[in-house]
Amino acid sequence: MIRRLTSFRPQPATWLALSWLALLVGVALLVPWLPLPYAPATPDLQHIATPPDWTSASPAHYLGTDSLGRDVLAGLLAGAQRLVLLTLPAVALATLVGALTGAAAGFWGNRQLRLPMATAGWALAAAWWALSLPSKAVLWLLVCVSLLLTLLAWRTARRGASYRRRYTFALPLDSLVLGATTLLGSVPRLILLVALAAGPPPTSVQFIGLLALLAWPEAARLVRGRMLWVRVQPFIEAARASGLPMGRIWWHHALPHACRPLLAFAPLSLAGLMGLESSLAFLGIGQGPDVVSWGSQLATLRHDSTAWWVAVFPGLGLLFTLLALQKTAAFARKNTDK
Amino acid sequence: MLRWLLARLGRAAGAAWLIASLVFIGSRQLPGGPEQLALADASDLSRPATGTRATATQQAARQAVRQRLGLALPVFYVTRVAGHWHWHGPANQYHRWAVAALHGDLGVSYRDGQPVAVLLAQALRYTLPLAASAAGLATGLALALALYLARAPDSWGPRLLLSLLAGLQITPLFLLALSLLLLFANPEFLNLLPAENEAPAGGSSGQQAAYWLARTALPLLSLVLAVLPELTLPLVAGLRHEATTGYATTARAKGLTIRQLLRHHALPNAVIPLLTTLTDLLPALVVGTLVVEVLFALPGSGRLLAEAAAAHDYTLVVAGVLLSAMARLLGLLLADVLYFLVDPRLRSAA
Amino acid sequence: MKYFWLGSLLALLASACSTPPAKQASSPITARWARDPETLDPLALPNQSAYDAANLLHMGLLAIDYQSNAYAPALAQALPHPHLIGDSLTVLDYELRTAATWDDGHPVLATDVDFTLKLLHCPGLPNENSRAQYSFIRQVRIDSTNPRRFTLVCRGQGAEILTGSGDFSVLPEATLDPAHTLRRWPLATLQAWPASQAPPRAVTALVRRYQQANLARQPGNLPGCGPYRLATWDTNHQLRFRRKPHWWADKLRPAPPVLQARPQEVVFAVLPDDAAAALALRRHDVDVYPQVPARIFQQLQASPKARQELAFYTTPSYDILTAGFNTRRPALRDKRTRQALSRLFDPAGLLAATQLGQGSRTVGLLPPSSPFYNDSLPLPGLAPAQTVALLRQAGWQRRADGHWWQPGAAAPLALTVRYRAEEATFATTALQFQTAAAQVGIPITLLPAETSVLTTALQTGDFDVYIRLVKGSPFGFNFATFLHSNAIGSGNLTGFRQPVADRLLLAIPAEGNPRRKRLLLRRLQVVLQEEMPLLPLFFMPSRLAVSRQLRHVVPSGLKPGYAISALSWPATDTLRAGTP
Repeated sequence: MIRRLTSFRPQPATWLALSWLALLVGVALLVPWLPLPYAPATPDLQHIATPPDWTSASPAHYLGTDSLGRDVLAGLLAGAQRLVLLTLPAVALATLVGALTGAAAGFWGNRQLRLPMATAGWALAAAWWALSLPSKAVLWLLVCVSLLLTLLAWRTARRGASYRRRYTFALPLDSLVLGATTLLGSVPRLILLVALAAGPPPTSVQFIGLLALLAWPEAARLVRGRMLWVRVQPFIEAARASGLPMGRIWWHHALPHACRPLLAFAPLSLAGLMGLESSLAFLGIGQGPDVVSWGSQLATLRHDSTAWWVAVFPGLGLLFTLLALQKTAAFARKNTDK
Repeated sequence: MLRWLLARLGRAAGAAWLIASLVFIGSRQLPGGPEQLALADASDLSRPATGTRATATQQAARQAVRQRLGLALPVFYVTRVAGHWHWHGPANQYHRWAVAALHGDLGVSYRDGQPVAVLLAQALRYTLPLAASAAGLATGLALALALYLARAPDSWGPRLLLSLLAGLQITPLFLLALSLLLLFANPEFLNLLPAENEAPAGGSSGQQAAYWLARTALPLLSLVLAVLPELTLPLVAGLRHEATTGYATTARAKGLTIRQLLRHHALPNAVIPLLTTLTDLLPALVVGTLVVEVLFALPGSGRLLAEAAAAHDYTLVVAGVLLSAMARLLGLLLADVLYFLVDPRLRSAA
Repeated sequence: MKYFWLGSLLALLASACSTPPAKQASSPITARWARDPETLDPLALPNQSAYDAANLLHMGLLAIDYQSNAYAPALAQALPHPHLIGDSLTVLDYELRTAATWDDGHPVLATDVDFTLKLLHCPGLPNENSRAQYSFIRQVRIDSTNPRRFTLVCRGQGAEILTGSGDFSVLPEATLDPAHTLRRWPLATLQAWPASQAPPRAVTALVRRYQQANLARQPGNLPGCGPYRLATWDTNHQLRFRRKPHWWADKLRPAPPVLQARPQEVVFAVLPDDAAAALALRRHDVDVYPQVPARIFQQLQASPKARQELAFYTTPSYDILTAGFNTRRPALRDKRTRQALSRLFDPAGLLAATQLGQGSRTVGLLPPSSPFYNDSLPLPGLAPAQTVALLRQAGWQRRADGHWWQPGAAAPLALTVRYRAEEATFATTALQFQTAAAQVGIPITLLPAETSVLTTALQTGDFDVYIRLVKGSPFGFNFATFLHSNAIGSGNLTGFRQPVADRLLLAIPAEGNPRRKRLLLRRLQVVLQEEMPLLPLFFMPSRLAVSRQLRHVVPSGLKPGYAISALSWPATDTLRAGTP
């Protein structure tokens, strides 16, 4: 049985998963040029919440319409485009940022990462200037002190480690990262969303940033938890004993192992973001009805709970995408699992 | 160990205070305020405000409401106006709130003047038992399912189960709750909810318990189903990975069954992501799940905080954030303690 | 062990198949509320639920008769006849009913009315809402010979002076102010009290007593003369009201419709989700479901079992779906541009799509059934060709990119539409407008927002077009609150400023002669259609679904949509469980 787990011939299921993902990306990129009978977010006032029909002569609503009169098929395709162009990059960004920050926090902890004192001086001076705090004299003092410290660090660069230790301070990386994740996690998501709803609806880039902001803490915590285990492994000790610099150990040896939980996490995070979008639509916050996504289509079920066709097709699309991502992740894991 | 624990608790309390203060100051920066929703719509013809000095009256009324609620004071000790900083001293909203909170008084709600602590306690009476039992049930079910799924991955049964879990994963919570409502609380299909809207007065405690069990069965089921895939799927992946390691082969060679191997040796190594996810759920015990409470009409803390946020009821929102931040930080602390218990080689980064 | 689980599962399924219990005459009547009332303080009634509750606990001089949609005397003996003094004052003579008493037996006197009005203006109490509404009452003159007779001197003239003067709940003086300390100050002094000056000590003492009474949660501390008292209140869950066993109006013969209170117990269930509320209605957890959304109404009527158990009513309401234009924006300053944009809405299609064809289209702010409706004006409809022609007349030119430009402008014509999120009607209207405008070459941005954000944006003028419901009423035609130039900054969101319209708006409420009033109102509708600061799309219907077993159902277009105190179950011996 164990041997069966480690064999990695690409099975038919994996080919199916990869081809579904390719179809999704292809459709998403080609949507502006597809000949659709109805544009995505246009209401057809004569056909509100009609079931799928294939028989009528005029351009038919092949997958029916929702409770606002929008064609479900066109919405499906527009949602696929939004998924590929916005949600997937957001997941990728969130996973990347989370992995890097979590791995760094887990590896160096609060005491291992030492920075020269001058950095603190420059950072304080920059903050003072940016906030335009009252006293200019303090600003000049900070700049002078930072210059002095930089000079000192440059002069003592060739001397030994004990000299360097005197003029450096430990950056509490773990507390910073944990604090950031806690801040984002403690404010109930609802309050954050209500605060965001007070502003104008976000542009595409802002939307990706927003989704990434909401999803990175989880990835960071998972990777940090794993890294706490990885850094006590014998091979890391061996690497340190052989004299490799800490940065290199972190990047080449510790990071790949610490990112293992992310392969299972990434598809879940995608599902989480889709759920977040539909919850936003459910609560009435977020994009207007002229922006169609699979999550918002699911949310219109609330207005008309007998219109099963509005939820089934986006739901199936989401399900297949998730399964495909899981299969691809499992395949990738088997490939690297030697 | 005890010293470390106390230090962490102290830091947690400080961090929660900081977060609540940030929300306090941030909420006052938002446009709009509670005075707008306290006053009737000026263009409501069904209750006309007669007279032609309408604008002045409206503005005076708004200012009067702000004065009464204490919102006319400056927000913080220092404020920045047109690039310059002004010092206000202790006569500001933050100072008043902080002093009162340190004495245990979290303030009164703007909408009905009731103490915020009482409102939260009433709402938590519904949310805490529901969320805690959902988390407990989901964890137990997740462990059992993961152990089963990691044993025999290639037959059609486990594969179907995995697909079902994936399907549950992508179903948004409100869709799940709505379908349960339509299937099990619908006179057209099955009607399993009790007919009365409140517990039978004067009944025995057994009857009351039975009533509440029936009433909360559907919300509990939807919460468990919503959280289950998140807990199970990473655990299955972790267990399968652990089963391929060297020590697992040795254990099997020594004669352990696969069941014993998974339960006693692979599980402690693979359970860390589960602990992380579980402690992430801790704030949800306090803030509740808005969606489930709206659909099943439970007067829980999720609905309370959502309505407070929409009505700009700042005192309630800040108290809710304080509570949720404390729960979150305690969850983190619990996670670190559990990491240490599960794998003594892990030294937390404190 | 497994037989235990099997057995309990079977018992659960068996209980699911049982029929609902028969309703006794004394069973409570359960109605659905969409939100918790938050506070039952009679001075601050922030939402419709609190208003419904106040109508059960308290009584005012006049009350709405939902059968005829008009005000009828409640505590007052008869409707007062207004005497006009000069051109700005109205004098109303009231006499209280001799039968009206408080719970302890003391009669309701004019001093109680005087005390209530002063309480409505006391600084320090949560009465800002009431103060804005009742500041037109300037003086209370109590008749020295008859303690039940008094006169109200009001500023302003018109029908809504009469109806507005009787709307507040009368509170007892003896409970809060047994030493009659407030009698020393006349009403006008309290109304004009400057905010910077500290209030008199007696007033501060009264305010403190009021706050200690905690009327927001325990209205029983200041008992009103209404037919019910509050039994229990589970926040956000339900409220229970019980009928007082001996209410003063029980002795009146004949019983006026506004003074009837048949149910022994009234329960309000707070169910925020519409679909869940419909299921509760089907399960007989809830007996009355007012303001049913169109889709749910249609679904309920489609089920034969529901048609057997429930009764459905549709009445025309006085709420108008309107699209308003911000006349202060440079692009919308010209009335021809506004008229052009109004031709992009499709009221007929929207009415059929969102309201199941119920409701009525209109040319102005009056319903077609009103005698003052101007039927010679054309109904607004979808006409994109006219849009293009009107835009050209207003000076817009269509360039090669398809957009409309004014000569010398930096940007083409592009508009933002604001409306409240979570409402399917607004969303469909906005989408239809966007589609029609896109075909003509005008890009539209939709900005749905939640209530507080929307209110702020509308009041600061941060919008181009809005879509909202104007809540109308059959009592009087005072449109000045949202169309007069003086109301810019409060109710006049469009910024509409037109001297002819201003004169008409002030003259209409004061006009007593029906023929002259008709002329003035017709003229106003013509001016409004010409200037088009807002476009009334259609009047919304008010839908009600109740359990078929209920008797004396009075559906009405006025909120809440039914008269709860008129409902009753039939007597027990004529009722069998399951009988349609």
